[in-house]
Amino acid sequence: MELYKFLPKTNCKKCGKPTCMAFSLDLLQGKVKVDDCPPLLEPKYKKQYDALKELLGSEEGQQKELKINIDDKLCDGCGICVTVCPVNARYCPSSLSGKAPDYPPEKHQLFQVIGGKCELLKIEYCRRLEAGGRERECRVCETYCPREAVKIEYV
Amino acid sequence: MKRFTCSGCSLLCDDIIVQSDGLFISEVMGACLKGKERFDQVSAKNRITSPLIRKDGELKEVSWDEATKKAIEIIKNSSIPLLYGFSNVSCEAQDVGIKLAQKINGFIDSNASICQGKILNKAKSLGINLTTITEIINKGDLIILWGANPAETVPRLLNKVLFSRGKFRMTGREIKTLVIVDPIKTASFRVMGVRDLPLIIEPNKDIDLIRMLKEECCSVDSIPSQGVAGIDKNDLKRLLLHLTGAENGVIILGQGVIQPHPDYNLVEELLELLQMINERQEKGRISLLLMGGHFNMAGFDHVALSSFGVSGKLEFKHNQLIKTDDTLVSKIEKENFDSSIIVGTDPISHLPHSLSSKIAKKPLILIDNHHTATSHIAEVVLPTAITGIESGGLAYRLDQVPIELNKIINPSNNLPSDEELLNQLYRLINQGGSE
Ligand code: SF4
Ligand code: SF4
Ligand code: SF4
Ligand code: SF4
Repeated sequence: MELYKFLPKTNCKKCGKPTCMAFSLDLLQGKVKVDDCPPLLEPKYKKQYDALKELLGSEEGQQKELKINIDDKLCDGCGICVTVCPVNARYCPSSLSGKAPDYPPEKHQLFQVIGGKCELLKIEYCRRLEAGGRERECRVCETYCPREAVKIEYV
Repeated sequence: MKRFTCSGCSLLCDDIIVQSDGLFISEVMGACLKGKERFDQVSAKNRITSPLIRKDGELKEVSWDEATKKAIEIIKNSSIPLLYGFSNVSCEAQDVGIKLAQKINGFIDSNASICQGKILNKAKSLGINLTTITEIINKGDLIILWGANPAETVPRLLNKVLFSRGKFRMTGREIKTLVIVDPIKTASFRVMGVRDLPLIIEPNKDIDLIRMLKEECCSVDSIPSQGVAGIDKNDLKRLLLHLTGAENGVIILGQGVIQPHPDYNLVEELLELLQMINERQEKGRISLLLMGGHFNMAGFDHVALSSFGVSGKLEFKHNQLIKTDDTLVSKIEKENFDSSIIVGTDPISHLPHSLSSKIAKKPLILIDNHHTATSHIAEVVLPTAITGIESGGLAYRLDQVPIELNKIINPSNNLPSDEELLNQLYRLINQGGSE
C-alpha cells in the first residue's frame, strides 16, 4: 500500500477511522483528504505530508470510482476469477467438487462466465467497497487471472 | 437447472448450462472459450453435412448409399487397413471401431495412446496411485505441473484443482502449493503466488534433474551447489522439501514429458523417483494425473482393455488378435498398410510430413465432423454428429473417470453418430461376407 507507508501508522483514530490502513484506503478512493489526518499536519511529519500531497496531486479530494475491467480479448473463460472471488465463494453452493459458482448466478455473485468469456455482473458487493480492514485490499481476481485480463482501477 | 458435460477437452466439465430449443443452442454458460468453440462447431463454416466421394480428383456430394458402397469397396480391396483416431468419439464408437478392425483384419490405434496405457501400467506396478480431480480438490496440498501448460490446453484445470474449495480444503488456493517445471514461462505460471515454486528448466534436461534427485536419495544435504539443469540450489532444496513433505501431492504430466525419447524413458524414471519418495514418506504420498487433449483420449485404452485385455493398439489377423510390436508410426513408415480409416482426427496436418505423405498415397476413408487437411486428400468422407452435443455416449475424463455425455440438440441434416455409422459399415461388411 503506497499511501499507507506515508501515514503516521499510530492508529490514533483522530481522523475518525479505526486504523491508518482504513484511512489510506479512503484516501485512495478520494473519500478523505490528506489534511483530514491531524497528526500529519505536525512538523515532524512534514516530509510525509508533502510526499502524500505530491502522490495524490490535483485529484485529491475528488471521489474516485472503483472499476473492474475485464479485457475480452485476453480472457479465455477459465473461470478462475469466478472461483477465487471471496464474495462469490461465500454464497456459492457446495458441489461434489468443492464450492462452485452457480448458474444462473446468485444475487451477490460478482462474476460469471458466459459464452466463453468472463462478465462482471455487479460491483456493489466487491470487498473493496464493502469490507473493512485488510479485506478491503482484496485484489485476488486481478492477481490470479492467468491471462492478466482483470484490472482493478479507480477512475 | 440441468447441467451438461462439455466435450471441448479431456476435462469434461460437467457443470455447463446450455440454453437451447432442441435445434439451436442460444447460450452456453460456465464453459471456457475452448468449450464455447466446441459448441460453435455445430454451425461452423467448414462443417460437413453430406457424404462426399472423390470423382475425377474432386470431392462430390453423393447419397449415403453411394458413399458407404464406395467405403465398403475400399475396405474389401484392402488386406491391411489402418484404423486411426478415435479420441474424439464416444467409447461406444471406439468399441464398434475395434469390432470393425477385427472383422476386416486391421490395425487400430487411437491418436491419444502415445504410450498412455504403458505409463498407467508402469505406475500401477510401482504402486503409484492415479488420483481424481475430486480428490485433488478435496484433499490436495501439492500440485506439480511437469511439462504441462493447462492454461492453454485444458483451460479450467487450474481453476478446479488449485482454486476450488474442497471438503477438507475450505480455503482452496491458500493451502495448496503449486510447482511448475517447464522450459518456458507459460501462461500457467501467472497463477503463481509467493509460496509457489516456478522452475524454469533447461530444455531437454528434465532427465538430469530426475536422475540427480534419484541418486541423492532425496536428501537435502547432497544437492550439488551449482544446481542442476539451470535450476539453482535453493530452488532444488525447496522442491525436495515439497516432494517429501506433501500429504496429498499430485504430479500432472503434460505431452511435453509423455512424448517418447529415443535414449531414455523419462516418464519411467520419474515414476521410479515418485516411488522412492512415496516409500520414504510416512503419511503422505504423491499420485499421478496425465493431461490430455481430445475429450475421450483416455477412453480407447479402457475399451481395448475390457474387450481384449490389452491397452493401446490392436492388430488382427484371421479375425484374431495377434501380438504386435508395430506402432502406428512404424506401420506407416514401413508402408505396411494399404488403406486407412481415419476417425475424428486430422493426421495430414498433425503428423510429420514423412508420415502424412505416406498416408496420403493410400485410399483413405474419413469419418469426421469438419473439413480438415485430411478431408482434402480423402477418397470418401462420411460426416457424423458431434459427440457431446448432437449425440450422447460415454467418455473417460483425464483422471480415468467415466462421464456420460448427453445429446443436447438434433444433429444437422440428421447425421448419424459415429457409433451408428461404424455399426452400419460393420453390418454391410458382414452381409457381404455371407453372400
Ligand atoms: S488520524 Fe492519521 S495517524 Fe491517526 S489514525 Fe487517522 S490516519 Fe492514522
Ligand atoms: S477485488 Fe476481491 S471481492 Fe472484488 S471482485 Fe476481485 S476478488 Fe472479488
Ligand atoms: S480469470 Fe481471467 S481469463 Fe479466467 S475467466 Fe477470469 S478474467 Fe477470464
Ligand atoms: S476446460 Fe475443457 S471441458 Fe471444461 S469447459 Fe473448457 S473445454 Fe470444456
